[in-house]
Amino acid sequence: MITHETDVIIIGGGATGAGTVRDLAMRGVRTFLIEKDDIAYGTTGRNHGLLHSGARYAVKDLESARECISENIILKKIARHCIEDTGGLFVTLPEDDPAYHSMLLEGCGFAGIRAREISTRKARELEPNLNSSILSAIHVPDGTIDPFRLAASNILDAQERGAEVRTHTRVTDIIVRGGSVAGVRCVTKDGNIFEVHAPVIINAAGVWSQEICRLAGIELMMFPSKGSMLIIDYRINNIVVNRSRLPADGDIIVPGDTVSLIGTTSKQISSSDIDSVVVDDDEIDVLLENGEKLIPNLSRTRALRAYCGVRPLVAVSGETEGRDISRGIVLIDHLDRDGLDGLFTIAGGKLMTYRLMAEMTADLVCKRLNIKKKCRTHKVPLPGSERKISQKRSVRKFTGIPASVVGSTLYRHGLRVQNILTRDRKNYRLICECEMVTEGEIEYAIKNLNVRDIVDLRRRTRVGMGPCQGELCAYRSAGLFQEFRPESTVSPVMLLRDFLEERWKGIKPVLWGDTLRESEFTYWIYQGLFGLGDIDFPDRESEDKEG
Amino acid sequence: MNYDCIIIGGGLSGLTCGIYCAGHGLKTAVLSYGMNSLHFSSGSIDLFGYTPRKKIIRDPFEHIKKTTRSNPDHPYSKTGVRAVQEGVSFLKEELGKAGLKLYNNGTENHFHITGLGTMKPSYFSQESVYNEHLQEAFLGKPNIRVLNFEGFRDYYEELTLDQLKKNPLVDASNISTGRIRLPVYGNTEKNPHEFRSIDLARIFDTEKYLPRIADEIKKAAGDAEIVSLPAFIGIDNYNHIHRRLQEMTGLFIYEVPTLPPSILGMRIDNALRDRFAALGGVLSDGDRVSGGDVYNGILENVKTELYSNTEHRARHFVLATGSFLSGGLRSAHDLLDEPVFGLRIKASRKRNRWYSDSFFHEKSHPFLEFGVETNSNLNPFDKNGTVIKNLWCTGSILSGYNPIRESSGGGVAVCTGYYAAKKIVSDFERKRKK
Repeated sequence: MITHETDVIIIGGGATGAGTVRDLAMRGVRTFLIEKDDIAYGTTGRNHGLLHSGARYAVKDLESARECISENIILKKIARHCIEDTGGLFVTLPEDDPAYHSMLLEGCGFAGIRAREISTRKARELEPNLNSSILSAIHVPDGTIDPFRLAASNILDAQERGAEVRTHTRVTDIIVRGGSVAGVRCVTKDGNIFEVHAPVIINAAGVWSQEICRLAGIELMMFPSKGSMLIIDYRINNIVVNRSRLPADGDIIVPGDTVSLIGTTSKQISSSDIDSVVVDDDEIDVLLENGEKLIPNLSRTRALRAYCGVRPLVAVSGETEGRDISRGIVLIDHLDRDGLDGLFTIAGGKLMTYRLMAEMTADLVCKRLNIKKKCRTHKVPLPGSERKISQKRSVRKFTGIPASVVGSTLYRHGLRVQNILTRDRKNYRLICECEMVTEGEIEYAIKNLNVRDIVDLRRRTRVGMGPCQGELCAYRSAGLFQEFRPESTVSPVMLLRDFLEERWKGIKPVLWGDTLRESEFTYWIYQGLFGLGDIDFPDRESEDKEG
Repeated sequence: MNYDCIIIGGGLSGLTCGIYCAGHGLKTAVLSYGMNSLHFSSGSIDLFGYTPRKKIIRDPFEHIKKTTRSNPDHPYSKTGVRAVQEGVSFLKEELGKAGLKLYNNGTENHFHITGLGTMKPSYFSQESVYNEHLQEAFLGKPNIRVLNFEGFRDYYEELTLDQLKKNPLVDASNISTGRIRLPVYGNTEKNPHEFRSIDLARIFDTEKYLPRIADEIKKAAGDAEIVSLPAFIGIDNYNHIHRRLQEMTGLFIYEVPTLPPSILGMRIDNALRDRFAALGGVLSDGDRVSGGDVYNGILENVKTELYSNTEHRARHFVLATGSFLSGGLRSAHDLLDEPVFGLRIKASRKRNRWYSDSFFHEKSHPFLEFGVETNSNLNPFDKNGTVIKNLWCTGSILSGYNPIRESSGGGVAVCTGYYAAKKIVSDFERKRKK
C-alpha cells in the first residue's frame, strides 16, 4: 500500500476545503486534500450563486451581513473571473409589508452596506422585465458568483503551489494513535487503497461532516435543511432581484452565465437522507408562482432544470430545535470539545464566507503546528484573476478566432485564456455550441483541472449546461476524453451514460414543454440511434452493489 | 383549395400515405412544417425489435401477430399483420423506384452496427449499411477497421470500437481503427473541424475527389477486408459512389449511422418526396396547420397559420404530425393536448407519472406511449368523444406503443400511413362508382 506523508490533511473539496488548501499552501504548509466525488460536488455547487451584499441578512442577522459585505469586497478583487458585478434590487410588492423597506435600509446602514433607495421607474429602467406594480426599490451591491469556477481556481492555485489533491477518493478510516490523529486511509473510485499520514486533519466535509466525525468516534449533531432551485433557460434578468420581505420561499432571481435562477425553498430533512434528496413537485410550483410575481414573463419561459442542495447547519452545543441552530461559522477544535488532538471541523457558514472560514481554520491549524506565517488570501488574486483584461484586447490578441469564443473562454477562465486558446483551427472548434466550449478548453480542463469524468468536465467548462443539456456535446466529450486521456481504463461510453443520467436528475422535475421535446430528442439519439441503455458495464454493476 | 385527400405532416408516415393516395389517382396534398424526424433517425426501418421484456425479436411479423392478440390498443393490432406486410413491400418498391435500395433478411430482422458499436435489430437497412455480401464477409473471420475522418467532430471511431470488440455477434479476427484525411475542399470560410455530416456528404457527392478518397481509405485500411465509414457517402449519388469506392479499394465498405443530421435519413426523405412529386402530389412546406371545422363528426376543412383566410377542403384527412418532438403533441406545466384539433389523448394526468426515475430505465418512459386515442380504424375522437370519421391518425402521434423501447417507430409510421391510405382510396373508389 502506498503511503503519503504530509503536514495537514483536508477532507472535502467544496469551497471551504478548496479555500483552506489554498490558504495553507500559500503559507508553505504541506497539504493533502481528499474529496469523495468532485470539486464543488456538494452544497458549494448547489446554491443560487449569489454574491451576497449582506442585505439579505441586514434585518435579522447583522453579524452575517457584516461578514458578507466584507467578503463581497475582497472577492470582487481576488476572484473577478468568477464574479459578475451585476448589482441587486430589493423590491416591495403590493402584498408585502411596506415597513420592511425602511428596516432594510436601516439595517444596511448599520452593517456598512451601500444601499440606496431608487424610484420604481429607475428600477424598471435597470431591469425592464420587473413586475410593473412594485411599490418601492432599493439598490444594493449584490452580484453573482460561479461556485464551480471559484472552488476550482482555489484548488488550481493550491496545486500550483505544491498541494496534493485527490478527487473521487473516499476516506474510509481515520487513524488515531494515543489520543491524537495520525492520518487517514482512503479508497479511490477504482478500488486502490492508500494512506496519508499527518498530525492534523481538517474536516471540511460539509453536509457529510457528521460521517467524518463518526469515523473518529465523535458525535457531531447536524441539522440538514434542503433548498431547491429552478433554472430558467434564458437570462431573463441582468440584475439580481430580491423580494423585500423576511427570507421566504422563492424570493430571489439571480442571473448567471446564460441562464437565470429562482431560489430557494427550505425544508428540514433527516441526516440519513442527505444523499438522496430530490426536488418535489410542490417546490416547483411554489418557486414558479413566487418567481412570476417578481418577473411576470417567467411563467412563459422554458424551465431548464431544477436541483437542490443541503445546508450544512451544525448544532454547536446540544441544541435540538432546528430554528435555534446558528447559520454562522462553526470551527471546532476537537481537542477542546472531545479530547482528540489534531482534528478540526469547519462547518456552517455560507459560500460567501468560504475564504474567511478558510482563514480562521488555517490560523488555528498554524497555531497548533507553530507556524508563524500570516494569511494572504484576501490580497493575492486567484489564477485567472491576476489582472483585469478587457474582452476587446483579448479579441484583438486572438484575431481570427470568433469573438464570441474568445469572450466565453475569457469569461470562464480569465487570464488563463492564454493557456487555452491557440490559432489552430482544431483548438478553437466548438464542442458545446450552446455554451461555446471549444476543444482547447476541454483539453485544458481534462489535463489541468482534476477532471475524471464528463460530469466533472461540465463543472469546469459548462459543457452540456445550455438549452440542449448535452445532446451532441455529451457524445463529443466522450470521444475527446478518449483522445486526451488515453491511459484511462474507464470506458468513455460508460462516462457518457453516467453524464446523461446526471443531467436527467435535474431535467425530470421540469419535464414539460420544450424541455420534454428536447428530452424526447436526446432519448431518440442515445437510446434509439445508439442503444446506449442496452450496454452492460460489468465493473459498474458491482460498484453499485457495494456502494 | 380543394383536394381529395389532405395529409397534415410530411414525415415517413405522411409521405407513405401520400404516395399511395397520389398513386391511386387522388388529388393529394401534404401540408408539412419543419424538419421531419427522418433527419434524426438511423436511416434503417425497424418493425419490431424488442419484446416488452427486452428480448430481441427474430421474426417481427410473428411478434406482430402475437401483439394483435395480446394488446388490442397497439397500432399494429389496429392495422393487422396483413397491412404491415403490404406496407413494407409497398415502401420497398416505392423507394426502389426512387433509386434507394433497402435490404431485408427475408421476414426476419438483421442487425446493423450503431455509432456506439452496439447492434440494433432492424427490418430494413439501406444496402450501404447492410447487405448479403457483407453478411457473408462477416462470417469469414475478417479483419475489420473502423474508419473516421481526421478532425471530424460528430463521430469517434474509438467509441464504436469499444463496444464492437466486446460484441459476441462480431466474430472478427481483428478489429481496429484508422483515420483518413479529408481532401482540401475549396477554400472554406467555415472551420473544417466544425463540418457536419452534410458538409462531408457533399464532398462525396462531387465525384471529383473520389480517387483521392479511395487512396486514403486504402491506406487507412491496412490489412482489413471490411471497413466502416460514418454514413456520409453522398446524399444524392450514394449508390454510384458506394459501388465505385468498393471497386476502387477492393474492400467491403459499410456505413455507420451518426449524430444528426442523418444522411441516411435524408436519403429516405428525398426519395419519398421525389416519389410523391412524380405521382402528382402537392407538397406545401413551411406553413403550420392551425385548426379546422368539424360538423357532425366530419372534418370539412383545415386552415394554416400564414394563410388563415384560405380553407383547405378535402373529403379525407390524415393527421401525421408526430409526437412531442415534432409538435404533434403539446405539453405544458399542467397540460397535455393535441394542438391542431384538440383530439382526445391517452396519457397520465399526473406529471410525475410521465417519466421514469433513470434516463435509461429498462421500462423506458411513459410519455413516449402518450398520444391520440383512436377507434380500431385509426379515427380519432373530438373533445366530446365523437368519432371524426374522415380523419385518420398515423405515425408517432398515436398512443399505445413505445417506438423506441420496442424499436417499432419506423414500422408503425409506414404501416399506419399505408393502412389509412388504403382505407381512403377504397372509400374514394366506392363513392366514385356510385
